[in-house]
Amino acid sequence: MRSPGTRTWCGPRLLRLAPLPVLCGCEGRHSWLAGAGAEARAIESLFWPFLIGSAIVWTAVMAFAVFAYRSAASDKGERVGRAVILWGGAVVPTIVVAMLLLTGLLTLRALSARSPALTVQVDGEQWWWRVAYRVPGQAEVVTANEIRLPRGETAELLLTSDDVIHSLWAPALGGKMDMVPGRTNRLTLTPLTIGSWGGLCAEYCGAAHAQMRFEVVVTEPEAFRDWLADEAMPAAPEALSEGGGLDAFLDAGCGACHTIRGTEADGPVGPDLTHVGGRGRIGAGLVPLTAANLSRWISHTDDVKPGVRMPAYPDLAPEALDRLVAFLMALK
Amino acid sequence: MTYPRIIDDGSVWIVIMPPVIWAGHFLAAYWIAAVWCARGMGVLAPAAWAILALTLIALAAIGWIARIATVRYEGLLRHEASIADDRERSRERFLGHVALLLCALNAVAVIFTAAPSLVFGQC
Amino acid sequence: MTGLPDIGPAPPDDAARDRAERDDLLAAWETPSGFRRLSAVNNSLIGRWYLGTAFGFFLFAGVLALMIRTQLAVPDNSFLSMELYNQVFTLHGTAMMFLFAIPIFEAVAILILPEMLGARDLPFPRLSAFGFWCFVIGGTFVCGSIFFGAAPNGGWFMYAPLSSDTDQTGIGTDIWLLGLSFIEVASIAAAIELIVGVLKCRPPGMRINLMPLYCWYVLVVAGMILFAFPPLIAGDLLLEMERAFDWAFFDADRGGDPLLWQHLFWIFGHPEVYIIFLPSIALIATMLPALARTRIVGHSWIVLSAIGVAFLSFGLWVHHMFTTGLPNISLGFFSAASEAVAIPTGIQIFCLLATVLVGRATASVPLLFAGGALAIFVFGGLTGVMVAVVPFDFQAHDSHFVVAHLHYTLIGGMLFPIFAAVYYWHPFVTGRMLSPRLGRWAFWLIFAGFNITFLPMHWTGVLGMPRRVWTYAEEMGWGALNMTSTIGAYILATGVAIMVFDVVRPRRFKAPAGVDPWKAPTLEWLREGPGHPWGIRSVPVITTRYPLWQQPGLFEEVTRGKWFLADASGGHREMIVTDILDARPMFVQRVPGPGWVTILSAAFLGAVFILATWHLWTAAVLCGGGFLATVLWWLWTGTGGVPPTPERDCGRGLILPLYASGNGSVGWWAMFITMIGDTTAFAGLVFAYAFFWTVHPAFPPPGSEPPGLPTAALAALSLSVAWLLMTVAQGANRAGRGSLSRWALAIVPLAAAAGVASLVLAAGAVGLDPTRHAYDATVWVLILWIGVHVAVGVIMDLYCLARLMAGRMDASHDAELRNSVLYWNFLLVQALVTIAVIGLFPLVSGGIR
Repeated sequence: MRSPGTRTWCGPRLLRLAPLPVLCGCEGRHSWLAGAGAEARAIESLFWPFLIGSAIVWTAVMAFAVFAYRSAASDKGERVGRAVILWGGAVVPTIVVAMLLLTGLLTLRALSARSPALTVQVDGEQWWWRVAYRVPGQAEVVTANEIRLPRGETAELLLTSDDVIHSLWAPALGGKMDMVPGRTNRLTLTPLTIGSWGGLCAEYCGAAHAQMRFEVVVTEPEAFRDWLADEAMPAAPEALSEGGGLDAFLDAGCGACHTIRGTEADGPVGPDLTHVGGRGRIGAGLVPLTAANLSRWISHTDDVKPGVRMPAYPDLAPEALDRLVAFLMALK
Repeated sequence: MTYPRIIDDGSVWIVIMPPVIWAGHFLAAYWIAAVWCARGMGVLAPAAWAILALTLIALAAIGWIARIATVRYEGLLRHEASIADDRERSRERFLGHVALLLCALNAVAVIFTAAPSLVFGQC
Repeated sequence: MTGLPDIGPAPPDDAARDRAERDDLLAAWETPSGFRRLSAVNNSLIGRWYLGTAFGFFLFAGVLALMIRTQLAVPDNSFLSMELYNQVFTLHGTAMMFLFAIPIFEAVAILILPEMLGARDLPFPRLSAFGFWCFVIGGTFVCGSIFFGAAPNGGWFMYAPLSSDTDQTGIGTDIWLLGLSFIEVASIAAAIELIVGVLKCRPPGMRINLMPLYCWYVLVVAGMILFAFPPLIAGDLLLEMERAFDWAFFDADRGGDPLLWQHLFWIFGHPEVYIIFLPSIALIATMLPALARTRIVGHSWIVLSAIGVAFLSFGLWVHHMFTTGLPNISLGFFSAASEAVAIPTGIQIFCLLATVLVGRATASVPLLFAGGALAIFVFGGLTGVMVAVVPFDFQAHDSHFVVAHLHYTLIGGMLFPIFAAVYYWHPFVTGRMLSPRLGRWAFWLIFAGFNITFLPMHWTGVLGMPRRVWTYAEEMGWGALNMTSTIGAYILATGVAIMVFDVVRPRRFKAPAGVDPWKAPTLEWLREGPGHPWGIRSVPVITTRYPLWQQPGLFEEVTRGKWFLADASGGHREMIVTDILDARPMFVQRVPGPGWVTILSAAFLGAVFILATWHLWTAAVLCGGGFLATVLWWLWTGTGGVPPTPERDCGRGLILPLYASGNGSVGWWAMFITMIGDTTAFAGLVFAYAFFWTVHPAFPPPGSEPPGLPTAALAALSLSVAWLLMTVAQGANRAGRGSLSRWALAIVPLAAAAGVASLVLAAGAVGLDPTRHAYDATVWVLILWIGVHVAVGVIMDLYCLARLMAGRMDASHDAELRNSVLYWNFLLVQALVTIAVIGLFPLVSGGIR
């Protein structure tokens, strides 16, 4: 196994020449080849041999086709032709696909061999992600659309859904796994590179499927544990006491859907907002969390994300909206 | 006029059997594993042994058909243009040849199907 | 040598006889003119309509593709709204698959298969016409929905529970389910007809080892349709029952499981890919000998591959479900089959390459398209074995990498061969050549456009772009690649437009083709072209694989009417039916001519499905009655009956009976094949039961009591009696004891009704409620299935009774009765299996736990 580190992993050593990182999009937060996780790297180690091997096979077949077309007919032809079928059509492909099969099975076994140090429950909703950490001896932490994971530790994601089938996919870290109503699926991820990686829903899940994204934030283990302890706390007292933001929140009826722990808002429908100000993005990974974006999200939700379940509040008085936004931003 | 009967005169059954054996083996393997894992048995070994035993039976059956096909074709690899002739014997040889090739293909496919049982120890 | 009786000498050349025979043939086979043309049933006309309609849907779905590409050209685009995009991509996939890729196989086969077999038509011309009209009605219904903003929007795969939620997926999903079920019925009808055509309508002497490869493929593919489509029909039934009546099949809260739909869909869906691909390879394998001037190398290897792929392709379905959380070992089995299927696929390609190697190919537009097909398909095959590797698929699945992969396989494996075939067989249909210059332009534009579209798309997938997204943000970095793909799509469309222009431009601008422009070896080039609707002039004895090359003088002998059935005295449409293995002539089949009954029955059946979409049950039932009436009228007037003379002199000393019943007749085989397909659908329902048993810790679940055994046993007994009475009726009729036969037939409905009533009582008495739990729903759907089948069986029984009373059946003319008994054989098996599953299995499975 390659040592974990913060360097960007990209391509086989041989090919790691200048233009390649641009070409393969290694810097992409959603790329399979970003190599931010052990699982992604295991799959990447299949990708390059497959790519090169296919290129060779394809070129060989095409070259043979051109040769066959150009060559003159001869009496011996049919005997040669049968040999071509036997060796080129049957024997060689059988060996190649047998090797592919074994490689795939062994990689699959290796992928499921890690034992997890951390369990995270992720529940797919139309069209966002409910994330829950249940660490023994600590209050349950519920957040949304952002999965924090410690670097170098294997996490097991328990994937569920109550509405339709979703599929959780953070390509930079590893493969995807579906969330099927009535079942609990498991996906292990072992992040290796610190950073914020993109994730999205890979299974068509209805109207707003395209805009169901999330973030995977990989931090050092200590930072992760600090964050988890902070998240377990109720909402920041200074936010609750300041400027009537909580009143604006409750007056607008937000508490019917959203929970802010430590207040009377305990709606179970939408994302938990207890520490929403600490998240990087809103709208299920859609736009960065800024006051302007948040304000637009609340007042014109459906413009930012067509199909979204949250109703828009276009008639909210400007000052109430400002208070609300400031309040939410302060919920670190 | 008399007409040859499809099953016994035609040897059509030796063409159909190899893939049917593969299909039976495949479904049985899938079913055994699915039920075993759905019943929460974590360790696969007993199921894997059952599948491997089935594999041997399937391969033996394919081998037996291959033997019949070899007789019909009058050989293993030799080529005879006469399978394209307008004779009853040619038709038999043709079906024997196809059956023989199908035996080879399905033997490989059965072995492929057995491979996962050797690789995985857990559901 | 041929196993035929002695063949008399050929009649001498006689211009007057030739003219008289041609007049007779024309009188029998003439296509009606004016609006009556619509009532035509001849395969050459139906085949052309079918082909044109399928291409029409292809162009429609192609426009949808351009809309998709336009929307995705730039990030955050607003060309299409989210709602419309979701409908557009769903309809694009649906139309390409169900309205183009599969029907085009049937269309081409209906068009060229009879001619390739030296037959005048397919054995059931009205069935072809019926299937065509079903296809037109169903396809228009499904596609038209988008103009009302009511197109299906759940994806062409229609995953439950999104698709079972009537709030999120509205009327469009019902249109999809019912419209496509309707089309699937048509596809299965065509498959039955093609199988019987290949097995029973070959020219005398064409033994199974001499049969053209195209016929092998048609046989194999039609067989696959028979096993692949019924599970989807079963799935459609379950999903529509859940949508319309809230039966619990896919709702996890009530014991259902969304994965059941995926299993049923992909048991259809993966073989379907090969159902699309194999006929196209078949077209290349048919064209190649002519284009490369040599025999196919490895004839038996290609037959092996076709059969091998057909079977293996049924072991791939879970590779669409690698990320649904199944156990690793299960994934492994399907990965194994997915890799194994590459072997026969590779063999086919190398057989074709070896043929080119041996032969002397010269450049031509069909060969150009075949070469393009090779380049593209091999690439798609290589990415195919990649995605068959489970961990690789964890990344690739549902990304644009798979979109690229599937278009490489389908466009390379299907569209390019079809385009090659269009250039090759255009003169066969119209007598004119397409322009080679325009052809080359079309090819290079399509080829370049295709690769510009889909090659970058692999990378788009690697960069993490999922499928079925209506928009994407600029920050994702997918913009440049998507723009490239969009430009490519328009280049591709330009190429297609050139080809369409070439095909539809007036014939006077096209070069005349002559009789056999490709110097081809297969029999379809014996046809005499437009204006000769009878197809082949006389039916020859075939003793070689490449008759036009290896049987000198055949063309003259056939076209001068020196072989069998050169005349059509009496104005009947006739064809020779032969035996399956050696194609020895068995009897002469008279096939019906033009008729409105096919359109009428298709319209009534279409109305049933369309009305059911809007839950207009009363009207739907009335139309169902109309359908039944038209079908009975069709059967009564168009099939069976005692022929006026027992035998027919086919010329040259060949005298054949005009009637057959039992397993020599085409009708018996059609019934047999139909029931194989029907039993497969039934197996899909039993699979649902077994699947639920596997996933539930207790099944029947707590709170559901299985149907009572005594009542179930009574049902088994009653249905067995009904079956026995049918068998007795057949035997008595054969033995000349007509009144016993009639009495037996008259009692069948009573026994059958008792059987169904006991079944309903068995489930009803223990209070099974299909909206409560998946167990209850599954039991009820099995009972529903048997009930409907018994009803059909009773109709057959009464039909036979009526035929006996009307003197249209007698002791030696009993085809209808024997076919009905065959139906009842299958029905009895299904009924007993159902009763065992719902009555006995709970006792056994309860015991194990």
